[in-house]
Amino acid sequence: MSGDLNRSRGLYRHFILTLDLNSRSAQAIAYGYLVPVLFLVAYGSVFRAETPALLGQMGQLLTITILGGACFGMPTALVAERERGIWRRYRLLPIPTGALVGSVLAARLVIVVSAAALQIGLAHVVYGTPLPLNPMQTLAAVFLVTAAFLGLGLLVAALADDVPSVQALGQCLFLPMIMIGGVGIPLLALPRWAQELAGFMPGRYAVDLLQLGYCDLAGIRHGGFNIVALAVIGGGAACVGAKTFRWEAGRRVGRSAWAWAAAALLAWLAIGLAAAMTGHLAPELPPDIGYAAITDGEIDSITFKDLPGDQEFVSRLAPPFGDGEREKALGDFAVKLGSWGPGHGADAGQSVRYLLCVAGIADVSQDLREGEIARHVLDDLRARYGDERLSRILAWIILYPRDGDVLTSVPALGLSRRYREDIVRERTVLYAKKFLGRLRGRIKD
Amino acid sequence: MPDPIPVSVRICDLSKRYGGVDALDGISFNVGAGEIFGLLGPNGAGKTTALECVLGLRRPDRGSVSVSGIDVLENPGDAKQLIGAVLQAATLQDKVTPRKALRLFASFYRKPADVGSLLGQFGLSDMADAPFDSLSGGLRQRLFLALAFVNNPSLVVLDEPTAGLDPRSRRDLHDIIVGMRDAGRSVLLSTHDLDEAQGICDRVAILDRGRIVAAARPSELIEQSRSGPRVEVRTLKPIREALLASLDGVTRCSRKGDGWTLETTHLNGTIAGLSQSVEATGNQFLELRILRPSLEDVFLSITGRAWDGKKEDG
Repeated sequence: MSGDLNRSRGLYRHFILTLDLNSRSAQAIAYGYLVPVLFLVAYGSVFRAETPALLGQMGQLLTITILGGACFGMPTALVAERERGIWRRYRLLPIPTGALVGSVLAARLVIVVSAAALQIGLAHVVYGTPLPLNPMQTLAAVFLVTAAFLGLGLLVAALADDVPSVQALGQCLFLPMIMIGGVGIPLLALPRWAQELAGFMPGRYAVDLLQLGYCDLAGIRHGGFNIVALAVIGGGAACVGAKTFRWEAGRRVGRSAWAWAAAALLAWLAIGLAAAMTGHLAPELPPDIGYAAITDGEIDSITFKDLPGDQEFVSRLAPPFGDGEREKALGDFAVKLGSWGPGHGADAGQSVRYLLCVAGIADVSQDLREGEIARHVLDDLRARYGDERLSRILAWIILYPRDGDVLTSVPALGLSRRYREDIVRERTVLYAKKFLGRLRGRIKD
Repeated sequence: MPDPIPVSVRICDLSKRYGGVDALDGISFNVGAGEIFGLLGPNGAGKTTALECVLGLRRPDRGSVSVSGIDVLENPGDAKQLIGAVLQAATLQDKVTPRKALRLFASFYRKPADVGSLLGQFGLSDMADAPFDSLSGGLRQRLFLALAFVNNPSLVVLDEPTAGLDPRSRRDLHDIIVGMRDAGRSVLLSTHDLDEAQGICDRVAILDRGRIVAAARPSELIEQSRSGPRVEVRTLKPIREALLASLDGVTRCSRKGDGWTLETTHLNGTIAGLSQSVEATGNQFLELRILRPSLEDVFLSITGRAWDGKKEDG
């Protein structure tokens, strides 16, 4: 009992000391915080025109942040301490050395999470990027990705003879993932062969999982394959790293360690093959492809005769707002909707569907502002996408009502009550028709 | 010589091979409570490997190590509670302070020493909050010694503790090591500095190529060695070798620079004869030194090799 208490007390002190020393190390600050911020600035320069800026790149930015801390910062510190004989000294302590490694990893987790929080905060303040839709889902995604990359970092530390070797090995992981792994350059901008190759690297799965955690309402629950991929790759690397790590300074890496490292890389291959066999390797198509394929003929084939009236019980729609009426009718609802994450995703078709859900749920719940909310959604959509693009998206929603996801409640906007999915789908189609009719001049306001 | 009682450390038949070479070849010795025991040997003799086995850093191929009756191999966690150590070439993080380092290491033990007292005891109070990279070599070594005491150990293991220190720091450290012994702790140290071993060790074991070739009190080893005293002499005018060889007790003459080294079995007779000869020939002494046998001579007489590893001439 006393031994356990000593161990916990000692590990806590080691954890705190690791954080303390990290905060005093210029190298740690550079890898952990400065480099990711430089990427944020670079991305901000390129993607700031998107609405909202950087929301579609948060998965990439957070992955880069985690890569820096886990695959460079952690192994650099670990190898530097080993080469200075510090870990040899630790081995004299009456505690398994693995527990101290655990303390290092835990401290690194805190460092990486703080760096991720800094990225999110800066993106929000500087570029107006919405905050995570579900912070707990984002945190869970950051934890999972960090754990996997710390496993890779441990393998780097095990294979590196000295600190310069850490840099070299770290770059061997970092650069391919940045360039052709979907981390630095968006997957959609890569040629098909690179998109498929990215399926053999953990970076792609990290980006996907973090993006889901950040701005998908379902969160990482939709990222099952990503989680498995990261667990297999990260877990394999961690096991090999723990097995082959050298505690003594100056001892060179042996052939068997390289053989184990090759075994760890087999996990990458296995995940790539599994992705290929389960359809997860297929190149991502641009999310706009669904509505972009809608033809004028298809739009013209849509009829508006059977729609309920705007002041009837179902699918109310208020008349256009006069001066000051919008604020009077909606209060801060319009502001909240403007920064509501699901309405600003990279997939325009899905974002419109989500915004129609807001109008639909307000309608089903007989919110006192149901008509005004629907009118505001229409105005917002027109301002954001323009009539031509919005027409195609609305037509796609009308013609393919079962596609895409719908929301059954929107607590973030005060619409907390949950409704059946089929009812919400029906209302989104009704509103889509009412909006499309107005855009095409087939319905008068 | 019988071991002091009670025995603190018992090492039995310890063996370790690296790539076909015996780093340790069945060494056995005991260290008593309140005793300074020195492991001597040239570089590569196996001293550090032996200490690493005692500390649990290396697993021997054969043999056993126990500290205060606790088997180090079977029960390393409990054994480490009793052992403090200063390792060769160990260091700490640049920005860690002595106070934080001591607090960290102390927190893992059942009976930690008071950190404030340790800082005072080892002369670190003034630099307690200074980063490690700002400490002098002597202060760093003091800090490592203090770290070896954070658990109030019954055995302190020191691997080449004075290597690289200036003379004053060495003297200070010797005082501290003797103080450990006087406080009833057992000290097991390795050194290749024979003067150091002769000066502070109660008993020594001389290691050569992984084997103990002699073990006793330093004075006993010297007495047992076949070496006698030597006389080093330098004169204003040259002296003939035949004259020196004819002096009372001289067994061997050898050139040393512009002087001579005489090995003798009758020191008084040799000195008296030498003085008479110098006086009689109108010569003058420039230098006359008497060298008593040392552990270096013991090593030479046992192994046939000089301490630096060269084969003895002739």
